[in-house]
Amino acid sequence: MIDEFIGFFRRVFAHGENPFSRDYIHNRMRPPGAAPEQSFMALCIRCNRCLEVCPFGSITRAGLGPTIGTPYVLAERKACYLCMACTRLCPTNALESSLRNPEQARMGKAVINTSICYSHLFADRDALPRDAGARIGALCNTCYNVCPLQDKAIMLQGNLFPIVLDECVGCGICVERCPTRPKRAINVVPTGMGRPDESGFYFRKARKHFDVSRKTVAGDQSGVLKGDDLMDAKERIDGSGGAPKFTFPYEVDKGLKDWE
Amino acid sequence: MFRPYRRASQFAVFLLMFGIPLLNLWEIYAITGTFYAINIGGLGIADPSAILQSMFAAGQFAPPILFSVFFPVLFAFLFGRVWCGWMCPYHVISDGVAWARGKVRGMIGGSSEPETWVFLDPFKANVTRYSFLLLGTAAAGIMGIPVLNYVNAPGILSAEAMILVRNLTISIEMGFIAIVLLVELLFLPRFWCRLFCPTGAVVSLFRAPFTLRVVSASNKPGSPCCKEEQCSAACPMGLAPYREGGNLLCTNCARCIDACRGEKGAGLLGFRGFQD
Repeated sequence: MIDEFIGFFRRVFAHGENPFSRDYIHNRMRPPGAAPEQSFMALCIRCNRCLEVCPFGSITRAGLGPTIGTPYVLAERKACYLCMACTRLCPTNALESSLRNPEQARMGKAVINTSICYSHLFADRDALPRDAGARIGALCNTCYNVCPLQDKAIMLQGNLFPIVLDECVGCGICVERCPTRPKRAINVVPTGMGRPDESGFYFRKARKHFDVSRKTVAGDQSGVLKGDDLMDAKERIDGSGGAPKFTFPYEVDKGLKDWE
Repeated sequence: MFRPYRRASQFAVFLLMFGIPLLNLWEIYAITGTFYAINIGGLGIADPSAILQSMFAAGQFAPPILFSVFFPVLFAFLFGRVWCGWMCPYHVISDGVAWARGKVRGMIGGSSEPETWVFLDPFKANVTRYSFLLLGTAAAGIMGIPVLNYVNAPGILSAEAMILVRNLTISIEMGFIAIVLLVELLFLPRFWCRLFCPTGAVVSLFRAPFTLRVVSASNKPGSPCCKEEQCSAACPMGLAPYREGGNLLCTNCARCIDACRGEKGAGLLGFRGFQD
């Protein structure tokens, strides 16, 4: 108890931490263009104009606590659709009012939990394990399909499973649509919530993914095909040259009848 | 008689509080916001006390922020604390509570006369509310969040009206309004507007010699001109309007002007200000 108090005072007075700005929670972001959490809590006057103008109803007011009345985007309930209507209205620049380009919003970074994600499980094990608790045994890739910054913020590694790239703005649409329950396979780690160690970790991870993606796109044969290239490749699929030969890795039981 | 005009203005603003989110639901964005900060046709107007808090908490000044308090300050310089008496949605509810208190007193005690008792004289009331404002602003600077916005009655009401229209819910902040109204009903009528309200305290700071105020036309303005002192009995802020029209507490609500019967049937109190 006393240690907690001493730690609290040390954080507040020695490190200048704002005790009233709360720690981050997954999938709970500030609206786009928000200042880092400390200055956001100082600047936001809880006028709720961002909430009022949001055409998607994405922004909710925080409940009882020091942050009461301040705006949050709860991605699991309703994600931000990056219309950027809220930023231009903020009277105190708690949301940067000059921000218009949704690609420059930095609400957070999406992180895929590969032990739950259907596509990752499918790509790893060729079938869903029974204990995955999943009903879909397929390549889902919903997050890739709904992403507003498709192939910039998220891409399909080898056309199979999704990976999050550096450009992810953390809008949370993938979280809203992710089909896994009760936990989502993709979650947004909000930026500016006073966890520089964590954000750095995810940033490095995202950076690594990004480098990987650039390499695969550069190699033309095994790279990801999109749009016209993909259609060309599909048109060049030719079934007339005889059936391809497969090597069959199993012993065939000689007792079976009519086995080809 | 100023009363019908004041009531019309109060109820118009009260309905506007619900009308703005309704208009926004119909995708009309000519007017957006709450009474913390409102945007009328691209013109940003903000509550000066909220902006003061925010500047102290963040430790930075930005020109658009300062511009958003320009119109409220100009309005206060011209018309005085008119926001409180003629517009504030909390004040109109407080009026209703004071009226209900009179009714209840009439039923219990038998005396339905307006209350003449006031808690703390005007000077002490001013000291109380400016101490509260200063402490709150200092606390905002230390804690790094605009703390007085937690108790900004018109802002809370307007935000609650907005989420009521949008989501058909109200939040826990309504509990604060309920507690204050209950105290006003049971113990101290109008104590919030007189003794604490940070918005009212900031708005009434902006006074100049040309600001609209109540002035007595009596030849002895320092002493009561009639025995009944209807003006003092009518004043919701506990002032003696014949000599204290320029007090920072005065909301220019004109109740005293309506109540004044003067020496020979002609009212002696009237507005004096920038128009003369």
